[in-house]
Amino acid sequence: MTKPIFGLLLGGFLGIFDGLSALVSAPETAPQIVGIVIGSTIKGIVAGAAIGWFARKVNSLPLGIVFGLSVGLLLAFFVAAMGDQSGKHYYWEIMLPGGILGILVGYATQRYGRSRAGAPVAARPHS
Amino acid sequence: MDHERGDRRFPPTSHTLIEAITSPHGEERSRALDLLVTAYWRPVYTYLRLRWHLEPADAEDLTQEFFASLMEKEMFAGYDPKRARFRTYLRVCLDGFASNRHKAANRLKRGGGVSILSLDFVDAEGDLQTLEVADVSDPEAQFRLTWIRSLLAESVKQLEGEFKEKGKDRSFEVFERYDLSDLSTGDHPTYAELGQALGLPATQVNNYLAAARRRFRSIVLDRLRAVCVSDAEFQAEARDLFGRADL
Amino acid sequence: MRPISETVVGRLREVVTFPDLAGTKYELLGSLGRGGMGTVYRARDRELDREVALKVLHGPLVEISARERMLREARVLASLEHPGVVPVHDVGTTADGRLFYAMKLVRGSALHQAIEGKSLNELLQLFLRICEPVAFAHARGIIHRDLKPMNIMLGPFGEVLVMDWGIAKLLAIEEGTTCPGTQPPQGSPHQADQTSPGTILGTPGYMSPEQARGDQTQIDARTDIYSLGAVLQFLVSGSELSRYYTPRISGICRKAMAPDPAHRYATVSDLMTDVIRLLEGLPIAAYPERLTRRAERVLRKYRLPIGLVMAYVITRALIALLGRT
Repeated sequence: MTKPIFGLLLGGFLGIFDGLSALVSAPETAPQIVGIVIGSTIKGIVAGAAIGWFARKVNSLPLGIVFGLSVGLLLAFFVAAMGDQSGKHYYWEIMLPGGILGILVGYATQRYGRSRAGAPVAARPHS
Repeated sequence: MDHERGDRRFPPTSHTLIEAITSPHGEERSRALDLLVTAYWRPVYTYLRLRWHLEPADAEDLTQEFFASLMEKEMFAGYDPKRARFRTYLRVCLDGFASNRHKAANRLKRGGGVSILSLDFVDAEGDLQTLEVADVSDPEAQFRLTWIRSLLAESVKQLEGEFKEKGKDRSFEVFERYDLSDLSTGDHPTYAELGQALGLPATQVNNYLAAARRRFRSIVLDRLRAVCVSDAEFQAEARDLFGRADL
Repeated sequence: MRPISETVVGRLREVVTFPDLAGTKYELLGSLGRGGMGTVYRARDRELDREVALKVLHGPLVEISARERMLREARVLASLEHPGVVPVHDVGTTADGRLFYAMKLVRGSALHQAIEGKSLNELLQLFLRICEPVAFAHARGIIHRDLKPMNIMLGPFGEVLVMDWGIAKLLAIEEGTTCPGTQPPQGSPHQADQTSPGTILGTPGYMSPEQARGDQTQIDARTDIYSLGAVLQFLVSGSELSRYYTPRISGICRKAMAPDPAHRYATVSDLMTDVIRLLEGLPIAAYPERLTRRAERVLRKYRLPIGLVMAYVITRALIALLGRT
């Protein structure tokens, strides 16, 4: 599996959960949950693909993490900027988890997945 | 007996050195002592100069007296081969001897019933001055080093004498140029270069060198064996000097 | 009398021990080191004008038949072409009847000198590179029989070279009985004589028990595996490195060095596999772990992603809490 595909799938997967977790952290949003989850999933897919693409080009764990964080924050910002139906903006609540998930996807795409056709990722050995 | 020309024939002693020295037969005794003197006079002289800080003249006298005393007294009654090497024992005797003389501060007059050995002390003094004689903090080591040098130098001299007598000058010359020169291991000429300098093919250089080394080794080992008290000591000394005893 | 300098004294002492190379194309330059079986010299091959290492075996060959057998073995050795095997260029006998090999002169350092300052990771990777030529040789039916740090060189380009192949086997054939140096196992192979007070006790021996017993019939590839285990132990447990000596590494060493060959790794590949798995944090054959220990390790290995997930969960929880106030 190549890194962009991996990132895409991981991002989407995490996006679903991220969206669903809104039920826990902000139960008042329950009526709009379907929309939230769809939005979150799309955000995750887009972010994941971008981060995975970056990991394919640049082989550096620190840079991958920084990029993941940036993309995560950025997309989360856009979503938060849209506001919900009542016009409230939930910047912190959306951007912070978004950033963390971005870091996660950044890390994962750096370590796993194929960067080039046929070139395996050299796993960094742990002691 | 002239110790400078170097005895070419060094017959292996059938008895141990100790037995030979204390033998009732005058000729055997004197031959054994001859071996001792040849092997040890330089180290003894150097030792007296460096360790006891004697002036050259005093050191000369004491060297003569020391060997004279060996010829006369029962020096080796107290020697136990298991306790120490003969060389060490000799040095300890020398220390005792020098210390006594130092205390008594008297000197035997020359010719007082003591046979004079004709030793080239001037040469020995010259060696002392020119060579990098190491520190005196370890007298045993110093004695040993001088003794080693003495052994090798005497062997070289014997080799030279033998080869020149048998017309093998070329062989010795190759040996001299290659192994007696002051070059460190990296700077040695190749056999080809040496051959060119001497007008010989490289293979001939190889053979000459091998022949000289072969004989040199023989001489060194014979001399070493002759001044060792026992076979065990010879093995130990060989191992010390050359890294192995199975030569 | 001609005065001779200290340099010459040193030289002449060497010269007395030199083998007689008359009639060969080699010019002796100096000695490099001494092992239990022979001395290695630096020499020049006059025909090719290059420097080589000459290993001259102690003790002369006497029987013609032994010589033939040795030459046959030498040919087999020369056929071992692998980047980790020092190539043998030539074989011959000196004028005084001693067998010698000419091989590539390795300009590098022996293993025990070259491992300063290396991380555990690097040491384990190094160990794998040591195993490779051994595995290669085993596949061709050749057993080294004398693996130890002094026989492993690290070249100037980082290459790993294993020296002195099958020499023990040759000499064992010649003597017809035991392996040379079959004194009780000891760690310092340069101590050829037992009477020397410097003999080190307590250093792990590199020789397998069946070798030390002189039991020819039992010696096979697993003998080398024992020695490899000892080498691994050496690599990770030098005085400053003892912190690397974890239970899992210890487990691998113990399995490789099991007294009964049947309990050791069957092949070098198996040993290498375990080391690779060790490097990747996977469970190894030599050290089955309790579930808790394994869980501990897994947690440690994946601590970054686990940390991130926890951070995420905590963030969400905080948002939820703060939202309610």
